[in-house]
Amino acid sequence: MNNLKKYWAVASISAKSNLAYVGEVGSRLVFLAIILYIFMRLWKVTYEHSGVQQLGGLTLPEMLWYLVLTESIIMSGPRVTQLVDEDVRTGALAVQLVRPLSYPLYRLFSTMGERSVRFVITFGAAASIALVLVGPAPNWHWHSLLFAITLPLAFILDFLGYFLVGLGAFWIEDTSGPMLIYSRLTMILGGMLLPLPLFPEWLQGPLHMLPFASVVYGPARMFVHPNQAECVQLLLNQFIWIAVFAVVVTAVYNIALRRISANGG
Amino acid sequence: MLAKVWNYLGLALTYLRFNFKTHLEYRAAFISQILAMILNDCVWVLFWTQFFERFPVMHGWGATEVITMWAIAAAGIGIADTLCGNAAQLAALIARGDLDAWLLYPRRLLPHIVLGKMNASAFGDTLFGYAIYIAFVHPDLQHFLLFSALTVSVAFLFIGFNILVGSLGFFLGNAQSLAEHLRFALVTFSTYPAGLFDGPIRFLLYTLIPAAFVSYLPIEALKEMSLGVAALSLAGSIALTAVAALVFNYGLKHYESGNLLIMKG
Repeated sequence: MNNLKKYWAVASISAKSNLAYVGEVGSRLVFLAIILYIFMRLWKVTYEHSGVQQLGGLTLPEMLWYLVLTESIIMSGPRVTQLVDEDVRTGALAVQLVRPLSYPLYRLFSTMGERSVRFVITFGAAASIALVLVGPAPNWHWHSLLFAITLPLAFILDFLGYFLVGLGAFWIEDTSGPMLIYSRLTMILGGMLLPLPLFPEWLQGPLHMLPFASVVYGPARMFVHPNQAECVQLLLNQFIWIAVFAVVVTAVYNIALRRISANGG
Repeated sequence: MLAKVWNYLGLALTYLRFNFKTHLEYRAAFISQILAMILNDCVWVLFWTQFFERFPVMHGWGATEVITMWAIAAAGIGIADTLCGNAAQLAALIARGDLDAWLLYPRRLLPHIVLGKMNASAFGDTLFGYAIYIAFVHPDLQHFLLFSALTVSVAFLFIGFNILVGSLGFFLGNAQSLAEHLRFALVTFSTYPAGLFDGPIRFLLYTLIPAAFVSYLPIEALKEMSLGVAALSLAGSIALTAVAALVFNYGLKHYESGNLLIMKG
């Protein structure tokens, strides 16, 4: 119980310190508006050209609201890999290890605190832009809140992936390359730009099974097309992948700790 | 006049050699960043090629046009950030008062600052741009020469734009976030067919966010083998760079020293 209090305090401090930088969101709004406008134009032309009402089971307004969710999930992601990389390379990790906190859990809760604030603000801004561009979300009802259950697990899973890449700093000079690739995989294979039903049929099955879909596509799909059976399946996938990543992160972290050599001073 | 141009070309080559040697000191990180950027670009091109093949929504836009657009944009950004990597950091340098050290250098201030840093991953962009253009478009010598000239024109555009948005720091104090998002906006608009947009947004793409000089005019010039359109594209880049230099020099009068003590080798 005491442990939980400690980590809760870490998350809450991280959230509060991010609330202090709400102004920074203003300029992010410009970029968000541009992205959503480009996609609205692209999908509008695509729907008109295809001559259909639905693509991948989504109408044009649903598609834009799907993008609101996927963009908010991606854009709210904190710099987990860079922070771990910095901690390892600068030796700041040695200081963290002295504290009565588990370093991975400290980073997890700090990230969750930061991300919850960033997501709420980004989602609020993106939803306002979508309201202006295509009106309210068409199928929205209370079931749409199912996405809120899946979102924290999506964030934890996302954190574990980036944390694992950051631990690579114990072995390689710079993790920015692998991080770039990992983030692109999350964006494209997770369905940030294109919902998974629009990928070639042979690819859809494997993509649904990958962790990226549980981070991006799943929660966004729950928002535009809430479905209890799909939600249960998504939660199951998320739990399985979190367990797999947690085991791998723990193993890699323990191996990495043996490589730490600190000088006093 | 000509002697002056040679003098500055010599300065650019010296900085290029120095910056390259600096990166070679961290060879593994340098190579991994280049490879990651190439892989990142490949992922996007593959994705958008598939998209426009599946939904041929833009009249006359297929895989060749998508690849040409990405090749020009990537090579242009690559050359810009390889040669003048500090142009993208200008807002941060101004905000921190980091210009002090550069003010002591002989010759004009702006070339020294922008040439002072090389972005390692930009090599990947440049290599990628030229490689996919040669491998997938199979240009004849004339097309290749025009393509090369256009990538230089686009590079000038990006350098000019980076200087212009970075110089906002002279007037706003801290313009880092705004400059970064405006840069993202230009890159984002530059990687979508300009034909998607009409009305005021089209006007915007020739003025405030000059992406039409990246994703529209150069593609048209290559399609039609038109030197006139290519000249128009180059004229836009030169005009923007000239305006950027004027704004920078005007803004410099507002610069406030950071009283920063740093060692520069």
